[in-house]
Amino acid sequence: MNARQLDKPENTRMSDETPDDRQQWIRALLERHGSSLTRYARTFTGDWESARDAVQETFLRLCREDTSKISDHPTPWLYRVCRSRALDYLRKEEPMTPVENSQLALEAAPESSPSARLEKSEAVGSVLEIMEALPANQKEVVRLKFQSELSYKEIAEVTGLTVSNVGYLLHVALKFIRKQIRGEGELLPESQGET
Amino acid sequence: MNPDDPKLTAYALGELSEEEAIEFERILAQDKGLREAVDEIRETADTVLTALGGEVASALTSEQEEQIITTAIEGEAGANAGANAEAEAKIVRVPFYRNATYLSMAAAAVMLLSILGALTVFNDIRKADEIARNNKKSVYIVDTPTNAGVDLTKPPPSPLPEAVEVARVESQVEAVVDFDFDSASPGEAVTVTAGGGNASVPEAVAVAKISLAGDISSDETAISPGFDIGGTEIDELRGSYDLDDAEGLINGAENIAILANTVNDESLGVVLDGNLSSVPEQEIVIDLDGGGRRRSEKDSGSLSSIKLDSYRKQARNSDEGRYSFGEIQEFASDSLNVVTNSGVVTTAFPILPPESPPPYPMPTPVPGGEFNTEVYDSIVDNPFLMVERIPLSTFSIDVDTAAYANIRRFLTANQRPPKDAVRIEELVNYFPYEYALPEENEHPLKINVEAASAPWQAEHRLVRVALKGKEIDWEERAASNVVFLLDVSGSMNSPNKLPLVKRSMELLTRKFGQRDRVAIVTYAGQSQVALPSTTADNTETVLHAIRNLNSGGSTHASAGIEDAYKIAEKHFIKGGNNRVILCTDGDFNVGVTNRGKLVDIIEAKAKKGIFLTILGFGMGNYKDSTLEELSNKGNGNYGYIDSLREARKVFVEQVAGTMMTIAKDVKIQVEFNPAKVQAYRLIGYENRHLEAQDFNDDKKDAGEIGAGHTVTAFYEVVPTGIEWEAPGIDPLKYQKPAVKPRVTGSEEMLTVKLRYKQPEADTSSYLDLAFVDSGKGFEEATEDFRFAAGVAAFGMVLRDSPFKGTSAFAMVRSIAENAQGKNRGGYRSEFLYLIDQAEMVTQ
Repeated sequence: MNARQLDKPENTRMSDETPDDRQQWIRALLERHGSSLTRYARTFTGDWESARDAVQETFLRLCREDTSKISDHPTPWLYRVCRSRALDYLRKEEPMTPVENSQLALEAAPESSPSARLEKSEAVGSVLEIMEALPANQKEVVRLKFQSELSYKEIAEVTGLTVSNVGYLLHVALKFIRKQIRGEGELLPESQGET
Repeated sequence: MNPDDPKLTAYALGELSEEEAIEFERILAQDKGLREAVDEIRETADTVLTALGGEVASALTSEQEEQIITTAIEGEAGANAGANAEAEAKIVRVPFYRNATYLSMAAAAVMLLSILGALTVFNDIRKADEIARNNKKSVYIVDTPTNAGVDLTKPPPSPLPEAVEVARVESQVEAVVDFDFDSASPGEAVTVTAGGGNASVPEAVAVAKISLAGDISSDETAISPGFDIGGTEIDELRGSYDLDDAEGLINGAENIAILANTVNDESLGVVLDGNLSSVPEQEIVIDLDGGGRRRSEKDSGSLSSIKLDSYRKQARNSDEGRYSFGEIQEFASDSLNVVTNSGVVTTAFPILPPESPPPYPMPTPVPGGEFNTEVYDSIVDNPFLMVERIPLSTFSIDVDTAAYANIRRFLTANQRPPKDAVRIEELVNYFPYEYALPEENEHPLKINVEAASAPWQAEHRLVRVALKGKEIDWEERAASNVVFLLDVSGSMNSPNKLPLVKRSMELLTRKFGQRDRVAIVTYAGQSQVALPSTTADNTETVLHAIRNLNSGGSTHASAGIEDAYKIAEKHFIKGGNNRVILCTDGDFNVGVTNRGKLVDIIEAKAKKGIFLTILGFGMGNYKDSTLEELSNKGNGNYGYIDSLREARKVFVEQVAGTMMTIAKDVKIQVEFNPAKVQAYRLIGYENRHLEAQDFNDDKKDAGEIGAGHTVTAFYEVVPTGIEWEAPGIDPLKYQKPAVKPRVTGSEEMLTVKLRYKQPEADTSSYLDLAFVDSGKGFEEATEDFRFAAGVAAFGMVLRDSPFKGTSAFAMVRSIAENAQGKNRGGYRSEFLYLIDQAEMVTQ
């Protein structure tokens, strides 16, 4: 798949709000974004439970919000709120155990044949491993772009970065990942000496 | 342009605007290096996309989603008002219990506030002992909040810290603890626990409020503010911690424990109120089993129905300053309302404004009747019948209670229920009565008759004909083969429908065991087996299937019904409880919406020994008449579930009655003695009327009775010897008024005859009971009699029956108030609240 052809999640618009519409709207957003928000939140919290809690709170807050202000850009709003909820947890919780690469790899969705699965999980593992080496802000931007499929502008809204900053971070991150996959250059200061 | 320009990536990812992209492509066309760079970026992007896309995501739990949807609906009532939107800071995550250390760190002082009074002392002591054992520390019991002092039944080994004060006691059933840590001894471990239980009041709700203030600096200080319910019968626990004033309080604390020992996990609600964001690093523990069994985080699946955000209990203010409320609604809120034992309800938080959503599902408003498509068959009150002409009164029993729950829904929502929704017999039968049990080895039913003067017409006699079914110990019940047939059509898509159905199913599933089988068939457009018949000890499998149910599509009930019966037949348990449980709002709106055809299917299967229970949910397009008819034809019962509490009544408290049919086709025939009775009128049971000859006809279908069920019917009787004229009937032209009826010399007023079949029998058994009226006044009647009479009068007033006589809400209220009996389950006290509501909405 070409990244350019990614379907951008269209923003479910809400107009002429009726209680039913509103409920449907929230339900649709929940369906569309619930899982990926949880996945996103987990990158901060480190565990699913609090990730789900963060997402739940996000939606509960959405329920209380004046939706006319959000209705044309719910996606970044959800991510932004979810992000700050998740970060709240992070602050509250004991220092969290970072999500292990191997753990992520193991949890990767199973593929058809065992060998394909193995290959896949190795490849997935390596990309995820490489990603682990990225600075936190690049990691997050990459996830928002490729996992949550947000646009630069939306990512900027979520993270509070500028659009050009987002573009820069993505560019650098992709370049780093590419080089790592090819076994070219070692950009990591700490690993430079090892090889 | 150099290959390090972020524009390359932006272009590759399609982030450039159209104009930018065109311009960029012009540059690209001339630069092979850039083109290669773009390709590389795309390739990398694809790899990353694949890698990240494969990463698992996790949906919210169904409870979490439920709550969101509930809030979404609840929200627009108030939330659009704007300002109240900022409740978010009050939601605090509470990780589940992770290790067993907290108790050992906790507790020098434990205050057990028995919320519900002295009855709980035993439990509290037991619990306190347990905590003390665990902590190897001393335990205090502070008894009833009414006097809020140290309970001398368990003298404290050392004085309570002076700082501990039970500052505010707002009612008998609520415990409020204000605890200021500033004055606690430094380094002292402190546990604050409030709790209570009352084994005799299963519907009771315990509420404890703990406010913590002050600062604890010592690392050694552990705080375990907790709620501890000793009474296993407590149905609801509401706890609230107000931590707003506890600046720095939590910093030194190891954890906060919430202890609860409830009969039912689902009924635990915990509110953490206050802002914890400034006090990180503590762990909040929820341990549903109190000091007992531990649950690890992994086990938390069974706890997932706890709503950690908050609970709000609705309260309504009656004229007399008495508060009452209905079922818990789960939605986010920053307030917690309250509680009761005997139903005299108080609130710990400000009474909600009247525009708040009602505790029961709000009936669809009826602007010009436009949106309300609820359907009720019309009821015409039974008239007085002259004994000389019609000495026999015959009817089928009805143990359904749907009408009561349904009118409760209306009244709680401040609406007057439609007259035809008021089926008096279902109102009367909603309440448990303590009639004598059948003697062993005889019939599974016993007839009880009592008479007293009618409260609304003192000259008339009110005769109560009651049946009591034998009780079956749930543990000794026959095995069950249950198929849930669930309507998951679009119309079920609201919180008081499908989510409530799911919770109800969970409740029932938990009552079942290894001998019992459960299957789930859903229908919506097409029917689908969501869970093949599975033994109920596979709890996880069953609950998983339940939780995964979603709504969607439109309804094609008849296909679903066929499938459900097919499964029930396949797994038929001889001598067992073979039953299809249909959960629906009755909105059969696709395909063969042919009531006749459905009835045919159901009747045929009923003959094979498969019973049908119908549970109505929701409102708006609730087809009461369809549902009642179907359940009658299906040898079944029919309930209306308007709340989790009602689900609990049907599936937990009275589960044996719901599931275990002990007699079917139960018919009552009463013969009146014209020497004693001029005329009589059966109150209610209008749609259960049978012809006299149907009584002995075993082919005629009639009502079923479940284990422990009671059936109550009232006759208003015009005795001989008083002036009475049949209203609206001209004197007969061809008959002379009987000079003197040719009567036997019997003193008996009437004889009650009963026919029924054993659940698997085709021929009926018979028993009867003759009754002599001793002429009691109303006040001399038993409490059960008076209460039930009050309910009947209530129904008549609500229906504005032409026969209501002097009945009025005030009269009903005084009858009911003075006949609360043991108020088992709190239903009788709730009735008082409904009277007030009814009075209000009918004004």
